[in-house]
Amino acid sequence: MKCPTCNNLMIVVEHNEIELDYCTNCQGVWFDSEELELLLESISLESLNLFLNNIINFPEAKSSEKKRRCPICGQKMRKTTIGQQPDILIDVCQQGHGMWFDSGEVGQLITQLLDKPSERADTQGRVITFLGEVFRARD
Amino acid sequence: MIAVYIIIGIVVILLFFFFGTYNSLVRLRNRVKNAWAQIDVQLKRRHDLIPNLVETAKGYMRHERETLEAVTNARNLAQKAIGTGVGAQSQAEAGLSGALSRLLAVVENYPDLKASQNFLALQEELTSTENKISFSRQFYNDSVLNYNNKTHMFPSNIIAGMTGFKASEFFEVTVAEERIAPKVSFT
Amino acid sequence: MWEQIRSNQIRSVILVAAMAVLLLLIGYFLGVAFMDNGIGGLVIAFVIWAVMNLIAFFQGDSILLALSRARKIKRDDHPRLYNIVEEMKIASGLEKMPDIYIIDDPALNAFATGRGPKRAAVAVTSGLLQKLNRDELQGVIAHEVSHIKNRDVLLMALCGVLLGTIVILAWYATHLLFFGSMFGGRRSSSSGGGQAQLIILAVGIVLMILAPIIAQLIYFAISRKREYLADASSALYTRYPDGLASALEKIAGSTTQLKSANKASAPMYIINPFRKKGRAATDLTSTHPPISERVRILRSMAGGASFADYNNAFRGVHKGGKGIISASAIASAGAVGLRAAEQEDAMRETEPGKVERSRQVSDLMWQLNNYRTITCDCGTKLKVPPKLKKSSVKCPHCGRINNI
Repeated sequence: MKCPTCNNLMIVVEHNEIELDYCTNCQGVWFDSEELELLLESISLESLNLFLNNIINFPEAKSSEKKRRCPICGQKMRKTTIGQQPDILIDVCQQGHGMWFDSGEVGQLITQLLDKPSERADTQGRVITFLGEVFRARD
Repeated sequence: MIAVYIIIGIVVILLFFFFGTYNSLVRLRNRVKNAWAQIDVQLKRRHDLIPNLVETAKGYMRHERETLEAVTNARNLAQKAIGTGVGAQSQAEAGLSGALSRLLAVVENYPDLKASQNFLALQEELTSTENKISFSRQFYNDSVLNYNNKTHMFPSNIIAGMTGFKASEFFEVTVAEERIAPKVSFT
Repeated sequence: MWEQIRSNQIRSVILVAAMAVLLLLIGYFLGVAFMDNGIGGLVIAFVIWAVMNLIAFFQGDSILLALSRARKIKRDDHPRLYNIVEEMKIASGLEKMPDIYIIDDPALNAFATGRGPKRAAVAVTSGLLQKLNRDELQGVIAHEVSHIKNRDVLLMALCGVLLGTIVILAWYATHLLFFGSMFGGRRSSSSGGGQAQLIILAVGIVLMILAPIIAQLIYFAISRKREYLADASSALYTRYPDGLASALEKIAGSTTQLKSANKASAPMYIINPFRKKGRAATDLTSTHPPISERVRILRSMAGGASFADYNNAFRGVHKGGKGIISASAIASAGAVGLRAAEQEDAMRETEPGKVERSRQVSDLMWQLNNYRTITCDCGTKLKVPPKLKKSSVKCPHCGRINNI
């Protein structure tokens, strides 16, 4: 799969039996909905559809960041945010193929976790925790 | 003159009927034979898997020598029963199924064994072999039913009787044995 | 069972013949309209059809598999899938093991193709392998194997070609006729042949418009009946209709659309890949009967797994009326019992769960695509595409540098 930001070939990182697509060039992360479903089933009560719908239907974030295209369907993704205070800007595919975290966004959630670990018990929080855990030493 | 033609006509029709029925009897009997051969292939496969299974289990199950020996013995008995006829063979195989299911029941107490890659692969093979045995038995019995119907029902039974086609034996598993048949199951 | 296949074959031959007549009629009218020679058009249509049939017969399966980007697998690549296909081969009494293909696609679908029992293949998507448990997968494979056993694969391929030829010819004909009439029709002045010619032309135009629709309806009629029969055979082979029923429910519940399917190959799949979400497939214009109905029939097979039981269930769902399976087929077999679900027993904990199944299948797909897997000392696995131009990657979890 190709990175939606820099068009480089991405590698696959498997941690705790969940696969993530990771760009070694720009250090962005693609969280595919198939894998998200597996993670959600193992950690929480929320179903994939509910989780993704919540994110997709969240008001579009105002951002100067460039629109990115979903690496699966090639359509433009929606800018939105997940987590709380400060929330993290992500791109989500409106067809529900997955979520894209830019390098800076991953860095942001790692520092957030360092500040106040294990405070987040909701589903979004747990997904963020998982991502932060996997990529804690990425640079 | 007309009578002669009619008689010739009847004879021709009878001949056609005779050979047609004879051929379909041969075909059905061959299908039964092939189906039986298929069961044999699968039973042999099961016999081949068992030493492997016992060997793998041995390393983890120190306190289950009797159970393991019972499986090995039942397997050897089943091995000997090959070629002794449908009835005797299905008996011996049922015995093996019973011993296997007792082994698989105690596996529950050995999480390390259950988690080992080797055992998981063996288990898939065993599950599938059990399935293949029952599916080939199923196909065999269906074939026997078709064939036996043909040998019993009028008018083909006349030709079957004349040319020595005898009804075949079903591969029976009695209800009690079926219940203890090993259910190696996972998805 | 054999009687059912035979009576189905007679019916199918009649329907196919009707489609062939339709095609030849189109050829005839095209000939009259453009060459002043009906027989010539007929011959041309026939030749086109014959050539396409030859292609479908000799290369149809390879073309379909290539279009779906299916990859052939061996026993060791996915032992469970291979075993299940072999089980169904045995249960159906098929003489030769079909080839097995995997399509790298998260959508849930499967199809069978080939020339007949001696040359056949089944293909399943990777999504299907991940989402279905053993019983469900067995139900689906049984459905596909019965398409092979019942010789549906070649029939549907040839029918598809026939339908395709009719649609293409009729499309060109209507466009050419329309084009021709806009420019006053070069022919009307040349022959002046009078009314008879005009009538023939009028009939021709109507035919061109109706033919594709009629052909499509015939095609659907053939394929729908075959789907019911394949469901009934699946129940008969596995002795467990709930397996296929629950697989169909999972398939119906999945929202992912198949990427590589096209309209011509749709009838080959276990469910229609173009099904729109939230819309129950309509009655006549669908290659497959609605899933909910197929599930209801399978679920209401309470007494046994024979064709008679399926037929009763079919009639129950359709509130009486005629059954779907011919009486001679029902009479030829005895009673057939059901078996219990495999999951019901104590060994369930050892079955690989959805996550393990997913990793098995995705690792196989990586392997087929020549990815290299590096296991970092921290336990994280890095799967590197063959074209990545780097000699080492850093593990994002622990920071170690791993050489590729």
